[in-house]
Amino acid sequence: MKKNLLQAYKQAPWRVQVQWIGLFLLGLVLVAAITGVYLNISAQAADTGRKIQGLESDIDDIMNDIASLTTDLAVARAENTMLSRANELGFSLLDPRSAIYLEIPGYDPDEKLVLAPKRLTTISEAPSIKASYTQSLWDWFSETFWNISRNPPQSTGEQVP
Amino acid sequence: MKPPFYTRFVFVALVCALLGIAIIIQMVRINYTSYADDLMTKSIDYQGVHKLVYPARGTIYDRSGSILATNQIGYELGIDLKFVNDPESIAFAVTSLIDRLDYAQIYGLASIESRGESENRYFVLTSYVSKEKIQELETLEESYALRREQNKTTKPNLSGLVWTPMQQRAYPEGNLAANVLGFYNYFSRETAQGVYGIEEAYNTLLSGRPQYIFMPNNPYLVEALPNIEPGASLVLTIDREIQKMLEDTLVEALEWSGAENGTIIVADPETGEILGMASTPFFNPNEYWTYQETFSGITPYNRAVGSAYEPGSVFKVITMAAALDSGVATPDSTYNDATGVYWVADSWPIYNWNMGAWGEQTMTGCMQYSLNVCLAYIADELLQEDLFYQYLQAFGFGRSTGIDLAAEANYPLRLPENNQWVELDLATNSFGQGIAVTPIQMVTAISAVANEGNMMMPHIVKSVVDRGQQYDVSPQIINTPISAETAETLTEMLTFTLEEEASLALVEGYRLAGKTGTAEIPTEGGYTSSLTNTSFVGWGPSDDPKFLVYVWLEKPTISKWGSEVAAPIFRNVVEKLVVLMKLPPDDINQEIVNE
Repeated sequence: MKKNLLQAYKQAPWRVQVQWIGLFLLGLVLVAAITGVYLNISAQAADTGRKIQGLESDIDDIMNDIASLTTDLAVARAENTMLSRANELGFSLLDPRSAIYLEIPGYDPDEKLVLAPKRLTTISEAPSIKASYTQSLWDWFSETFWNISRNPPQSTGEQVP
Repeated sequence: MKPPFYTRFVFVALVCALLGIAIIIQMVRINYTSYADDLMTKSIDYQGVHKLVYPARGTIYDRSGSILATNQIGYELGIDLKFVNDPESIAFAVTSLIDRLDYAQIYGLASIESRGESENRYFVLTSYVSKEKIQELETLEESYALRREQNKTTKPNLSGLVWTPMQQRAYPEGNLAANVLGFYNYFSRETAQGVYGIEEAYNTLLSGRPQYIFMPNNPYLVEALPNIEPGASLVLTIDREIQKMLEDTLVEALEWSGAENGTIIVADPETGEILGMASTPFFNPNEYWTYQETFSGITPYNRAVGSAYEPGSVFKVITMAAALDSGVATPDSTYNDATGVYWVADSWPIYNWNMGAWGEQTMTGCMQYSLNVCLAYIADELLQEDLFYQYLQAFGFGRSTGIDLAAEANYPLRLPENNQWVELDLATNSFGQGIAVTPIQMVTAISAVANEGNMMMPHIVKSVVDRGQQYDVSPQIINTPISAETAETLTEMLTFTLEEEASLALVEGYRLAGKTGTAEIPTEGGYTSSLTNTSFVGWGPSDDPKFLVYVWLEKPTISKWGSEVAAPIFRNVVEKLVVLMKLPPDDINQEIVNE
């Protein structure tokens, strides 16, 4: 009898197989999920890296364009060019005896050239990167759910016809 | 009982295991072979590129903000053999656009077969190709692509021909102020530096600090590149309108007078700012590689600072300033030029410019008629050697002015304590012979007379703009060799003499002080009297000087006298200068002041 009782508690072989297959599939799903997340993050990081490289290249191109345009502008406004244009338009150097002189209070003919941008008096205290990039997963979860529980999403109030 | 195929499974397992072990052993072995270092180096190379990034060179502006020197884009043209499949088209395209390149040479470089086993996959054809040429190449490439599509062929094709942008120095004004600016020899980036003028004097500031950066191939490691600050920009005291006027006037002056070379300087005596500085020969710094053709031999790049000469009678201003300031003479003190000759130590005779005797003259008369014997008498008997040379040193002669331009020349002052000095030097120095000075030394010294006795530091840079901040250069007093009273008295004397003489330097409506100079030129065989250096120094308006003009013409052929050659050039300059500086005539200015 005892022998029969023991036999009654043994799992059927197909059940054992199903359990093992289930466990294996669970592991497989977990590995696939982790791999998927890893690949996704990696792909985003690689994509961001490439975008940074592209943007650096764009910055170089823009800086080069600015340099070229600045030079073109300087050439177009060169003293020789401006004098030729003035002569073509019929202008000539003033005769100081024929000029009419007016005193303009506050006018400084040799006003100082200011090329440096004005200094900012306020410094932005906004962080340069989002908190979610630096906080731990636990912090992020707790903060997100805390915010959601305190400020549940509300209707925008738009009327749909 | 062994399962079926047991032996085979064991055999395959053993083979796989042995293979794995062999691979591991090989991996370990490689680490201890001579190739290990090479492999490590290559692995580092594959990780990314260490690159030295040069900041953009600073811009140079004139005092009103017009650009005198900046950067523009040139292109490096190269061939990347990995992508070349039509060397004929590449050679044809490149040689049709750039004359100096040879078809056969380019074809040879572009042919993979002819490159043999060389590992060099990329090489440079030429640098600093213009933007226009590159645009032509792009147009050609587009037309080739269209032809390939229409004909369903792979040729013609420019793939493998690579152009990379790089910044090069540009001088939009061409020749203008080139002698002041210097140039930047940008062809070799590693050794490029400013040469002469501002470019050399401020090379470190303009260049900025190059930085090594690592650019990883692994996109996970890519980060934003560090911000590399460009070199500092400079605002000059030069006014490009005045500079242009000076250079045009100098060209006309050389044509008219037949002079070999010339220099004109305009300075603000109150601040020491150089408003314009023209010097021959002119030069286009955009083509700096032609430098040797323009400045052959010992030709100075900028005569205003790099060439010392015997100035002649303009130096009498200094002697008279010393006499008045020390109290040994007044404007009305007299000297009797009875014979037209002054004997130094009873051995050396000094004559006047016309070899004549001018009778009794006041000090004003001595300056008006530029009498050598009178000035020799002042230096030799009134001032005497100690006082005379003390004043010369106080005026800065014998040492550099410290102007912020490269390659400033300085001829040492021969003093009585030197072995080479003889008593004759004291007499000849008094009228500007036997002493060598640069034009900028003369401008600096005489600025004391035009500026209440204060001698200002001559400078070209007005402010420096670096990292978003602008730093202004403050005017500096070098020395006060004479009192304000002496400066005023001498200015009045020289204004009076100019008017009395009805000088060719006079400008209607403006009271000006000035002095001519004619100097014989020392040669190996002694002084030549047929060829001279002619000079003129003048400042005005006399009541409140706003400008000081110095003119030097070398060996004019139309006349050998400064009063006939340099004085009219001074007048031409001042007539335009007062307009450009917006200075009203004296009477109008007085009316404005009275109102």
